[in-house]
This record gives sequence, structure tokens and C-alpha cells, in this order.
Amino acid sequence: MRILLVEDETLLREQVTEQLQKQNLTVDAAEDGQEGLFLGLEYPYDVAIIDLGLPKLSGIEVIQKLREAGKEYPVLILTARGRWQDKVEGLESGADDYLVKPFHFEELSARINALARRASGWANATLACGTVTINPTTQEVLNNGIAIDLTAYEYRLLHFLMLHAGEVLSKTELTDHIYEQDRDRDSNVIEVFIKRLRTKLDPDKTVNPIETLRGRGYRLTLPRK
Amino acid sequence: MKVKQLSLSNRLLFAVSLVLTAFLGLSAFSLNNAFQASADSAQQKQLKNYVYTLLSAAEFGENGFEAMPDKLAEPEFSIPNSGLYAQITTGQEIVWQSGSTIGMFIALPDHPGTSNEHFSKIKLNDDVKLLNLAYGIVWENEQGKNFNYTINVSEDLDTIEQQKADFQRSLWYWLGGTGLMLLIAQWLILRWGLRPLHDVATDLHAIESGDRNRLSQNYPKELNQLTQNINTLLSHEESRRERYKNSLADLAHSLKTPLAVFRGELESSSNITELKRSSNEQLDRISALVDYQLQRASTEGQSSLLAPISLGEIIHKILVSLDKVYQSKNIQGKCEIRHDIFIHADEGDMYELLGNLLENAYKYCNKQVSIFVQSQSNHVVIQIEDDGNGIPSQAQDDIIKRGKRIDTQVEGHGLGLAIASDIVDAYQGEIRLEKSHLGGAKFIIQLPKQ
Repeated sequence: MRILLVEDETLLREQVTEQLQKQNLTVDAAEDGQEGLFLGLEYPYDVAIIDLGLPKLSGIEVIQKLREAGKEYPVLILTARGRWQDKVEGLESGADDYLVKPFHFEELSARINALARRASGWANATLACGTVTINPTTQEVLNNGIAIDLTAYEYRLLHFLMLHAGEVLSKTELTDHIYEQDRDRDSNVIEVFIKRLRTKLDPDKTVNPIETLRGRGYRLTLPRK
Repeated sequence: MKVKQLSLSNRLLFAVSLVLTAFLGLSAFSLNNAFQASADSAQQKQLKNYVYTLLSAAEFGENGFEAMPDKLAEPEFSIPNSGLYAQITTGQEIVWQSGSTIGMFIALPDHPGTSNEHFSKIKLNDDVKLLNLAYGIVWENEQGKNFNYTINVSEDLDTIEQQKADFQRSLWYWLGGTGLMLLIAQWLILRWGLRPLHDVATDLHAIESGDRNRLSQNYPKELNQLTQNINTLLSHEESRRERYKNSLADLAHSLKTPLAVFRGELESSSNITELKRSSNEQLDRISALVDYQLQRASTEGQSSLLAPISLGEIIHKILVSLDKVYQSKNIQGKCEIRHDIFIHADEGDMYELLGNLLENAYKYCNKQVSIFVQSQSNHVVIQIEDDGNGIPSQAQDDIIKRGKRIDTQVEGHGLGLAIASDIVDAYQGEIRLEKSHLGGAKFIIQLPKQ
């Protein structure tokens, strides 16, 4: 899952980025409204976290411009003042939730996960497809109740596949959602990750949890629960 | 560059002087004209009268004019240089001259013809100017022979010019005097009329220097509205300053406890997990205190100077926002607002009050939230209910007690409710907590409209 973070206070930005990365999320951070808007228009994000008081372009303007450009991913606003008028204005401009500074990181993480789930039609905090369950908060992955060990990128890939279970996802989409903007990417790596996930989720090769649709991409076949 | 503004009294004085000058000048001009015209026509009438007097006194016989009595009705005709002169001519020769003409030469004037009259001005020399009336008559004797005569009567213009000059002089004296009087009266009236403004300025200055708190109450009714508004503004400012001061003091005070606990933990605790937990707790408390006191300090509070705002619009906006945030909870919101209700309050305050209460309702309800807003004679009543678990009864009294410290407030509901209750206080309203028929809490807020 790829997150856009727009926050002008360097310390907070670095802290949040680090924490989000620890949760195995792909994070692009911007330090002002203009950079934030550029990234927001350029890359496909799953959730954007936007501070309201930004230099160059205010958070409200960034959100309005993103929405005008047809970007529909959920937006969480951060506000220092916590005034209701600001919250209402932010939500009116197209944001989906708000968080008042200072916040607990757990709270931020819970809100991000909730927004991502909501956007892809999930109701519960843990995602469950077939025999596989994944808890985005603890990043625990269970298959038939048994914990399985995944590398960071394998986890990111599985998380994204599960969020969009049943949908066909192209290789580019998958790359876009698990890699940061400035990381070297090689779409062949996706094939390798998929192969490894198949082995780990379905060691006996009985259910084919991820199917390959030639020329189109991949699809998680496990039914949503 | 900014042009210095004329003072009010100078403006009025200037305008009035202009108008007065124009008015007095025009009246002087027209009065003078009227007087001149009437003096001229009076003199002409007088001259005619002299002609008739002479005619009636003159004796005519067979050969026309014969004699004029020595004593005429007008003694001036007999006194030399009296200023009144007469002569009768046939056109070729003078047949009679009044006694007053002795030593004076009066040229033969014009002959306007029978039964005609003609006025003219004659200049004898530098000193003597005359107004002359030439009047043509015809005498028919018994044989039917006609004798033509012209009667000339002249009067010295000096006298009449003198009269006119006298009149003009006294006219100017009077008008000038009146004008001056009017200006002085105007100046006094202005001073008296604008006095209250001056008093307001003095009062304001006294407030500025701290000698007074408020403007006095007895001003003329035109100014009262203004001075009352200034007073309202002053008390509004004062209560806000007071709130600022209080919340600053409260903040500093209330921060001490968590800080002390924090320091104590840092110094004594050896267990890092325990220290983390406890510092987190204290940080939360500090953060809540800062939020709460900041909100309290920024509350605008009641003031009749605030423009009316629509409660319906604010509630609607907050509900749309909350519906978005609590989308997954699928809440059945019921909102009933009788007409559109306006209230004189600060928009930010109302957002804060309603936002906090409505968010609590959304947070603690199961499925249902109901809002009911009603306008009463001079109050607005807002009811916010939910179908949650409600608030335990022993906490109900504490929860909205005035000035209750935030750190003793009921968990969860606390901060939002404390803020809401402070705002209601700032508007001299009332907040009550009851049990809702939906099962949860029911907050009833009463706010004065003004």
C-alpha cells in the first residue's frame, strides 16, 4: 500500500515516514503543498496524509486540486489547531477523515488502514480471503491459522492483492503500489515475488491463490470473507 | 497624501457663513433696488404734484399766461437755492421763473408737446444736478386761440441721492450686524450641539488612560446607539481578556501536575516500559490541557455586535462532515430544524460547540443520532440525542459543572463536553444532560438569541 505524506515539519515528517515504513507501507513524503500536489497527481496512492497548514499551497488547496483532477484515493487531514471550522472546511474540500496533532502513531495507522479498507470495500480491521488472514496493524499473516513469514516486499504485495481481492491488477499497478517513487524498479521482480507468495500460501499447489492472466496481470482468487 | 479633514464644527461654520453671506448679499441687493425704484417713482410723483400746484395757481387770460401769485403753496419755490425750481416757457421764451431760480441759469429744457411729460436729468454744474419734469399744456382762450406752454419743475438730486446713500448705509449696517449676530449664534449653537461628541471623545480618552471603564449613559439619543455599542464592545473585550488571562493561568497551573508526575517518573522509574506508558499518559494529559485551554481562550463569547449566523447551515455542514468520517458506522441521523434559525454568535464558537457535541453523539451512539433545534421567544433550544450507553448517573452532575477542571472530567466525553459547556457559559446559556428516549445521552442547550 502506497502512502503520500505531505507535512512541512521535518522532524514529524521523518518520524511518521519511518513509522509507516516499519508497518511495511510504501511512503512518499513531501515538505510543501506544491511538491505534495505534484506527487499526488503523478503517482497512484492508496491513502494521502495531508497537513492543513502547508507552505506554498495550503492543504485545502492541495486536496481540492487533487479532487478536481479526479484523484479519488482517501485523504486524511492533519490539523494542529483542531478547530471544528477547519475540520469542516477540510472535509468539505474532499478529505475523508481528520486527525488533530499531537496524535498517537497507532491512531494514525488505524485511520490509514480504515480509510484504505473503506475505499476497497472491506468492513473489518483484519482482511480475510479464503484461508489467509492479514492484520495490517500487526502485519501478521496467517494461513489456516498458522503464521507465515514474509519479506517486506512480499508482505506489501500480498496486502495490496488482498485489499483488491478479485480485481485484476497489472504488473505496473503492483509495482506502483509497493515501491517508493525513487526506488529502482524492475517489473520482473514482481513475477519473482508472486511465485514466492504462491509457494508460501499454497505449498501443496492445490488452490492457486494468485492466478496469472496473460498480458493483463494477476488476480487473487481467494474469496473475500 | 492624506488631506487633513476639516473638523465638523469648522465644516458647518464654513458652510453656514457661505450661505449667510450669499443670503444677506442678495437681500441687500434686492432691498436696495426696491428702495431706489420706489424713491425714484416717489420723486417723479412729487414733481408731478408740483406741476399741478403751479397749474392751479397760475392765472391765464386773453393772451395766455398772465401771472403767478407771489406766495405759492410750496415756500421752496420762493427761497433762492432751495433746491426746488420751476419755470414756464412757451418754447421760445421764459414766461415765468420761480423765485428760487434767482442767480441760476436753467437752460430751456425740452418740449415734449401738449399733454406729454418728460423726465430728464440736468447737470447745471459740478455741484448741482437736477431731476427735471417737462410737462406740456395748452391754454385755449375764449376766442378759441391756443397757447402752448411747457412747465418745467426741477428738484435738486442731491437730496434724493443723500436719502439713498443714507438708506444704503443703514441697510448695510443692519444686514452686517444681523449676519454677525447669526454667525455668533451659529457658532454657539454648534458648540452646544456638538458638545456630546466632544464629551464622548473625553470619555474615551479617560477610558484609554484607565480613569474610567465605560462611557457614561446619558448621551442624546442620536449618540446613544453608538456609545452603547462602544460599551458593549468594551465589555466584550474585557470578558475576553479576562478569559484569556484565566485560561492562561489555568493552563500554567494545570500543566504543573502532569509535569511534576512526569519528572517524578523520570527520576524514580527504573522500568523502561512502565516509564514509557506513564510518560505517554502524562503527555496525553498535557496535550488535552493545551487543547482545552486554547479553545477556552479563543472563545469569542456573547456580543450583540456579532452578525446573525444560521445554525441550520452550521449543523448541516458538521453532519455532512461527520457522516463522512463515521461512514462505516452507518448512522441514522435525524435532524429537525424548525425554519432556519439565526443566532447572534461567533461562527467559530458555534462550530466548536455543535461539532464537539455532535461528534460525541456520533462516537457513542449505536446507530441513531437525533438533532432537534427550536426557536423560542428569545432563546434557541438545541437537543442532541444518541442511542448509546449514555453517561453514568453519578457522573452527570460533574460532567457539565461550571469551571470543572478538565483532568477530573469523565473519560472520553470529557474534553469535547468541557469545551462545549464553556462555550455555553460564555454565551450565558444553559446546558443540561438528560436520558434520551433513544437510550443514550440527551444534551439540551439553551442559548439566548441576542
